[in-house]
Amino acid sequence: MPTRAIKAIFFTRFHHEKGSRVLHQIPEGSITPCSSLSALRNPLFSFDSATPYLIPTQQFCDRLLTFCVNHYRVIGYPVCIREGRYSRNEFIFNWAVVVEESLADWVAYGEVVRKVGRLLRGLEEQGGFVSGEEDGMGAWDDDSEDKSWRIGSGSKVFALCEMLLEDLNNYAECMIPIDDSNTINLKLFPTRPPPPPIHAHQVPILTISLSALSTPISSDLTLTRILPYIDGINSVAHIAQLADTDLSLTRKAIQHLVFYGCLVLLDIFSFTAVYAPTAEIGGFIVDAAAQEECVRYVRVPRVRWGGGSTTRDPSVSSARDSQSSVSSQASDTSTASSTLSTPSSGAPVLPHSSYTHDISPETLITLYTSLRQGLPLRQWVLDHLDLLGGIDVRRLITFGIIKGFLYRVHKYAIATSTTSSLPPAPPTSLQSAPTSTAPSTHRNVSEASTIRLPAHKNSVSNGLFAHGGGGGRLEEMSRLDSIVSGEEMGGEIGGLGRFLDGMHCFDEICSEVGQGERVVEGRVKGAGEVQVFSR
Amino acid sequence: MAIPLPPNSHLQAVLLVTKSRSLGPRLVFHYPPISPSAAALLATKAPAWFGNDTSTGSIDESNDSSSDWDSSTEPDGADEDIEIGSRTSGGRGSGRTGASHRDKEKVRPTAGAWGRQESFEEDDMDGEGDGAGGEIDKDGKHKGGDRDWDTVLGFKVDALEKILCPTKAFNKRRFELGVESVVFVGAPMFVRDDGLWKKRKKRRKQSDEERLHKGDMLANLTLNASQEEESPGDKKKEEKKEIFVLPPGFEAGYGHDIDSEVPSAAASDVGSDVKSDSTTNHNNSPDMTMFNVVFVLNPPALEHQMRVKDMYDNVTKKYAKALKYEQARFEYVWKESKHIIDIKQRAKENGESLTVTWRKIVSISPLARSLATMFDAISADKIAHIHFDASFNTSFQIPQADSTPYLPNAMEPQMPGLWLTTSNVVVDDENDAPMTQHAALLLLQDHEVILKDLQAEKANAAVLSFYIRTIVPTKSLLKISIKHNILAQDMEYIARHLVYWRRARLIAPLHPRDTYIVSPNADMSNLQAAMASYVQRFPTLPSLPKMLSLLSQKPKEYRYLIPTAEHRDAYMDILAWLMRGGWVTQLRTFAWVRVSPGIKAQVAAEMEREERLKKEREDNESATGSLRSDKRSSFLSAGTITGGPRPGTPLRRTRRDNYDGDDMDASTILSPHMTASTSGPGWRGSPARASSDAGSTSSARTTIPYHGPGRPTSPLQLSSPLSHSTTKPLHRPSPLHPKSPSPSPAPPFSPTSPTIQNQPPPSPPPSPQHFTSSLVLNPQKANAVEARWLEAIGKTFQDADIRGHWSTLLKYFDGKHAIEDISPREGFKRKRVGAMMQGVREGGWLVEVRHW
Repeated sequence: MPTRAIKAIFFTRFHHEKGSRVLHQIPEGSITPCSSLSALRNPLFSFDSATPYLIPTQQFCDRLLTFCVNHYRVIGYPVCIREGRYSRNEFIFNWAVVVEESLADWVAYGEVVRKVGRLLRGLEEQGGFVSGEEDGMGAWDDDSEDKSWRIGSGSKVFALCEMLLEDLNNYAECMIPIDDSNTINLKLFPTRPPPPPIHAHQVPILTISLSALSTPISSDLTLTRILPYIDGINSVAHIAQLADTDLSLTRKAIQHLVFYGCLVLLDIFSFTAVYAPTAEIGGFIVDAAAQEECVRYVRVPRVRWGGGSTTRDPSVSSARDSQSSVSSQASDTSTASSTLSTPSSGAPVLPHSSYTHDISPETLITLYTSLRQGLPLRQWVLDHLDLLGGIDVRRLITFGIIKGFLYRVHKYAIATSTTSSLPPAPPTSLQSAPTSTAPSTHRNVSEASTIRLPAHKNSVSNGLFAHGGGGGRLEEMSRLDSIVSGEEMGGEIGGLGRFLDGMHCFDEICSEVGQGERVVEGRVKGAGEVQVFSR
Repeated sequence: MAIPLPPNSHLQAVLLVTKSRSLGPRLVFHYPPISPSAAALLATKAPAWFGNDTSTGSIDESNDSSSDWDSSTEPDGADEDIEIGSRTSGGRGSGRTGASHRDKEKVRPTAGAWGRQESFEEDDMDGEGDGAGGEIDKDGKHKGGDRDWDTVLGFKVDALEKILCPTKAFNKRRFELGVESVVFVGAPMFVRDDGLWKKRKKRRKQSDEERLHKGDMLANLTLNASQEEESPGDKKKEEKKEIFVLPPGFEAGYGHDIDSEVPSAAASDVGSDVKSDSTTNHNNSPDMTMFNVVFVLNPPALEHQMRVKDMYDNVTKKYAKALKYEQARFEYVWKESKHIIDIKQRAKENGESLTVTWRKIVSISPLARSLATMFDAISADKIAHIHFDASFNTSFQIPQADSTPYLPNAMEPQMPGLWLTTSNVVVDDENDAPMTQHAALLLLQDHEVILKDLQAEKANAAVLSFYIRTIVPTKSLLKISIKHNILAQDMEYIARHLVYWRRARLIAPLHPRDTYIVSPNADMSNLQAAMASYVQRFPTLPSLPKMLSLLSQKPKEYRYLIPTAEHRDAYMDILAWLMRGGWVTQLRTFAWVRVSPGIKAQVAAEMEREERLKKEREDNESATGSLRSDKRSSFLSAGTITGGPRPGTPLRRTRRDNYDGDDMDASTILSPHMTASTSGPGWRGSPARASSDAGSTSSARTTIPYHGPGRPTSPLQLSSPLSHSTTKPLHRPSPLHPKSPSPSPAPPFSPTSPTIQNQPPPSPPPSPQHFTSSLVLNPQKANAVEARWLEAIGKTFQDADIRGHWSTLLKYFDGKHAIEDISPREGFKRKRVGAMMQGVREGGWLVEVRHW
């Protein structure tokens, strides 16, 4: 972020007789008036009114002290060294940075100031870095106002201020060797929002190609192991299973990736799921660029048949960034209208339509706008088969979710009766559930394959079957579960009781119990007075 | 950030600092009595973006939670464990654990958190010499928080009061001091050089109305205050002196004199305070020179600017101004301050505990009480009702968003329970009338609760309660005001007032024919509590889960959920209740016009025909010798070179150019436009008026170059010239004149080179195969070609009603206005709108999408 946000850097010293004085300032005249020709005409703010906060009482020394004055924010780190060798046994100085008051992420500069302040303190304690040069300069001998800039030229502290201002403003980082044993390494780190909690049923998808990096991104073993499995299809739980990593460690690793913006979180794609447009859909409809991006993303690759689902369009990499741009572009009418050329003009079909199966933006709009609450994707696909030629349905949905103009309508269940007085659930429904698991999966896969979805059988089965990968083990588990639930019948609602409080969506339940949605729903519904609703 | 953050003031303490000639800088009062140390504040910085779930997934979370993640092993209970754990651990994970963002329990760090001091002091190199931090630590541990008179927020009181007394340069400025990530936000108020707190002004008589609307009252006050201070003229200075500058030797009677100025009830209260205060010294010159109310916040880094601004603008500044007003009236702040200082001094000498003393102070001093109230309310994100004295009370709050159009994704700050809708989004149309009149008011509390609160406010509650009683969420304000004979402005005023003070929300009137869905932003963690209160309220009706279940089917009109006509009212009550809690939201329909290839071909053919016609006439004209002057023809030739190839100049440009028209023969240019707009179908006016967007102008120019040379510049001018010319013989000559030389100044960036101009127009007649259908994104700002398409579509309707109102309907087909708004805004009956929409839909002219 080379924003040139730093308006000035200055160094203030407190003298036991002469009071507080600015010894160095960059640019000249920015803090105290200066007679130099190149100096700023007017100081940024009145130094006198700021003195109490630059050289505070000891209470406030050695901590980051910021204050706002005259629409500037001064970030300082007053240092007070108490030692016998100084007059009055203390040595007080402050190395401070001036930024605009409205600068959003000034905290990043605060960290730099803190580091420099501590470093100067260390240097002073080691060898009188700051006090030493003062003696040589005779900084306090003369009371003339422009003393400060004249002593600047040969001073190390002055040079430090100068270099830091330039480097931080231009490169947002710097490396300055001080002496044989000390080097300043600074970097402005933008403050990032806190990462969200990662749930086992969420599906991570990378926004940048981490595998393309030459050096491994981290020495974190979990991270290295899970990376190949992050493909926008596998849920976190599934990834942990595939990579044979601990689920909680997997969650943390993914949380790190989210924190650094390498990854976005989706939900488990499923043909039984319901998707509906959000208010952002308007932004997509008016944004031709987004539509083109979408076309590129959802088009079924015709040549690269073997590529499978792991080949990723470059458009995904920009997905995260452009996500925010969707809304901004929608609001910015001039941008929007200038990019609208093709659709609004009624052009005869443009030459680039030489692709067979060209997907027109209008098709996309028709498809997206026809999604609605209460309409499972499977049904929707059947309704729009004719329009879906050459379109990867999973990618179509995923694109909408990433861009924020679609949302997944999650299903929840809540037990309305108290569990103690549970009515006897029909045992047949429970017993039949596990046996029906496998056939139902197959049926749905075949159903899906009639819709010609190349290379994504995986996703289909995955949707129905959160733990699709661990097939054998899973069946075992579910069987076990059904036995257990059969035994506990009437007590625990087949182990699902804890999920029936309306706070756990079906994805989560499926993921936790390792069963398909249909099975789970059957169990839930057979478990007594339970209301299923979606939001 | 477009997504609103959950309301959270991050307020940790309130301080009152004064500077007086006799006592110097003084920390008069702080609240809460046992303030957390700055170190503790640092440690408890938990952004509440992800609500409950923060604890389960945060990186800092260690062993105990992993057991939960291993799915099946740990049954129930685990969640609660984590929640409790996070609450006590107080680390990063300890977010707000309460239910929804509206009524959450605050986890406030207390003095118990001394142990966390290490993190703050970790790199103190020589703890002994460095003093400050170390000493505090010792003091804290040594004395225990409740007896610790010398530190506040972990700082020594004397240091704190000094640093919080800024120089006069900060007068009426924002005072913001950050110590690490703790921020002190203050609005210092200084006495004027003449020793007064305010230029004397006539004391405002507060009418009942004003007192009733206390918020506005404050706004007035602040406005007045600033005006008064700025205005040079000062009236009644003597009177002011009489009151505020006490004659010498008046010590004992000090309070009484002031009391005479204080009306009624609080007078005795204040009086007694002041009498006991007589030990402190005062002289006749103003003792106090400054006071600074400081709000201590510890916002997370990313929210710093926003939280500080919110606090300063809405609370700190307003409160300080109110105090200044009181100070100007009767030395309120200083009098109270001295009193508080006195009590504190005595308590300290007697070795009393802080909490006991604070209880005493708060019960005695209205100023202290106001600070305490302020802290309690604002730190809980509630509204603070402050009673300064009997004649002056007001309220403060940090306004909260009551709705959002954005549904946050998994990685964005969550605000479950916040009403999800676009109905409150202001569409940036200059001619967009405020929706208030057509909106209904949904009271967020029951009538009785609001009325009871009003009674407490004592003002003329009767009138207001009448208003409030009339409010129903199913009728628009307009309808209510007509029905009950209330002035529309009054109704709107009350509505705004109630909305601002979080008593109500503006919604689209609830109607059984509208569609409602379970809001994706509903707060599920609140469901259990909601179920209980729902059962109490609607015991005989379907349960809350049942209703949610019904509403989460395929969207359909609400009336289909109502079993019988008798149930209608009850079900509407349920709907209002669900709406109030943010459980449901209305599904609104948004539409764009889809232009079919057929229409495009038709329009293109028409335009070509006109073009040919025009060309011929042009040729004729030049052949027969121009009727025009030399000037005219010379302009023409110039125009053909420069302006000619500009296809599709939007109407506005042409029109404005016409009006601005230099030495042009205005009538010849104007007339076609007028013909068109007067005799054409009614909608013409709207695109003409609305095409005021320069952006669309330029886009039009860049987007239609392939219409090629010789296209008409301004189709509206040309539209059906033959038919119109017969009806308006006066303007007959107009179509004769070439349109291609648009009289606008030559565009500097014409898309095609001028030489093409002379080539003949493309000969093959346009056929639908050459076009693809597309959308008109904003009919109001349609460019020329789009306007013609829309016109052509308008002509296809058989239904006269649709044809007649096509232009009205078009306004709503921009994807920003909901179709549901047509009926209230345009005053059409729902049925009629429904029929019209059906007609338009059947023609396949619409792309529709439904969201909130």
